Amino acid sequence: MAQIEVRNLSIEYRLPKGEGTFTAVDSVSLDIEAGEFVTIVGSSGCGKSTLLLAIAGLVPIADGTLTIDGDAVEGPGPNRSVVFQEASLLPWKTVLGNVRFGLEMRRWRQGDLSKRAMQYINLVGLGSFADYHPHQLSGGMRQRVNIARALAVDPAVLLMDEPFGALDAQTREVMGDELLRIWERDRKTALFVTHDIDEAIFLADKVVVMGRNPGHIKDVIKVDLPRPRRGEMLDSDAFAEYRRRLRAHLAADMATMHLVREAV
Amino acid sequence: MVAVAATAPQKRVPEPARLGAGARSSVIGFCSVAAFLILWQVAPEMGWVNGRFTSQPSEVARAAVEVFRTDNFLHHARISLTEFFLGFALALVVSVPLGVLLGNSRLARDIINPPLMALYIAPTLILLPIMTIWLGIGMASKVAVVFLGAIFPIIVNTMAGMREADAKLVRAAQSFGATRMDIFRHILLPGSLPSLLAGIRLAVGRAVLGVVVGELYVSQAGIGHQLVVYGSSMRVDRLLVYALVVSVFGYAMTTLVRVLEGRVRNWRPET
Repeated sequence: MAQIEVRNLSIEYRLPKGEGTFTAVDSVSLDIEAGEFVTIVGSSGCGKSTLLLAIAGLVPIADGTLTIDGDAVEGPGPNRSVVFQEASLLPWKTVLGNVRFGLEMRRWRQGDLSKRAMQYINLVGLGSFADYHPHQLSGGMRQRVNIARALAVDPAVLLMDEPFGALDAQTREVMGDELLRIWERDRKTALFVTHDIDEAIFLADKVVVMGRNPGHIKDVIKVDLPRPRRGEMLDSDAFAEYRRRLRAHLAADMATMHLVREAV
Repeated sequence: MVAVAATAPQKRVPEPARLGAGARSSVIGFCSVAAFLILWQVAPEMGWVNGRFTSQPSEVARAAVEVFRTDNFLHHARISLTEFFLGFALALVVSVPLGVLLGNSRLARDIINPPLMALYIAPTLILLPIMTIWLGIGMASKVAVVFLGAIFPIIVNTMAGMREADAKLVRAAQSFGATRMDIFRHILLPGSLPSLLAGIRLAVGRAVLGVVVGELYVSQAGIGHQLVVYGSSMRVDRLLVYALVVSVFGYAMTTLVRVLEGRVRNWRPET
């Protein structure tokens, strides 16, 4: 049995002013094994973030089943934590306060919270910035805090919703390396949503490609590159082949989108 | 940690050039006040203006000494201060919880919003004659006017602060299992504090106005009462002393709230 099992999952949003519902995710099935690093890639509007938020328990499901370790997901739970796209840090708390906040909300009881928070702040390389407020940090540093906050509560599954989406290309690459370095320590199950093809391949054991109208899974591609991953791999023939396949999928999705527009 | 070293924190460093500019403007400010005082002192003696109407800095200074020594100043000040602080405290006790409720309950908003906005926009001093009819010419009617003047800016701003809560922060807290109470305590409350304090700052001005105008309208004691007394006897020097007292008090209270606002906002990027 896979750790995360998604079966025929549909998610609907209610449109404003009672104009019915919008299907964001349509009958999706997916298995994620324990310790697997899975990325979801797709163009905007394909429901990839919605699927992740449903697994986080933050979005209600309309149909189908969603289980983690055999238990149906009915809301946020202590076995999952989320790193959001924008660093959703409390602006009035320091780096330390923000990482502690996650532990406090989880009602963490084992040992000293500050000590544990500091341990994870050090892990993401911000040890000397513990007393800074979020507005004093760069975008990359804020996301490091977010990652520290998510890891400190010791989740079985780490969910990341385009965490590096707002960062510049260089910072993004550095953060990808860092994330893998941290992930290699205990290899928790990780689900990572992105619209960046290279990022999706570089991080993943398995890339899930999603398409839109309505959101569905087009393909699941296993990535057989050795770990630990290195920057040079981006230039390898194997990487180029994965990139070509993913591009073809996404280009097809864009083309149908175009046709739909013209038909309307 | 090469990346960390590369992304240095964005610390604000005061620009040296600006310090010089600040010193210069305070010198200019001081000179202009000094020039005004000299002109004011000299003008009546030169016969440019009638000193009976304008008074003089030296006379005002002498009047100040008289007022503080012999005019029962502390008695009147105590009455006005009591009206101010009693009315303001009552306003805080009522308006903050009400603002929180209105910010969080759509039903409460729908019920209370129309009359609330009407009262917020109208100057509450229009209710002064009614308060006097209901509560008499003593302190109670002034306390009521201060209360009414202070309550609406605080309610409206607290409500706005609650409603401006960042949905992303709420969602993040929920993902860690925060309860409704946790979200209120850790996100809504601190998030709305700057807005609440801005409301309090507005309320201070309205409350000072309420005390003075309330006493001017009808009273037996208080700073406003003294203004009536010296107005009818044309004591411009003493009127100016009392005007100065009121303005210093208002300024001090506003500054106090600003200091609190500054403390609360120190986590914020400058806006």
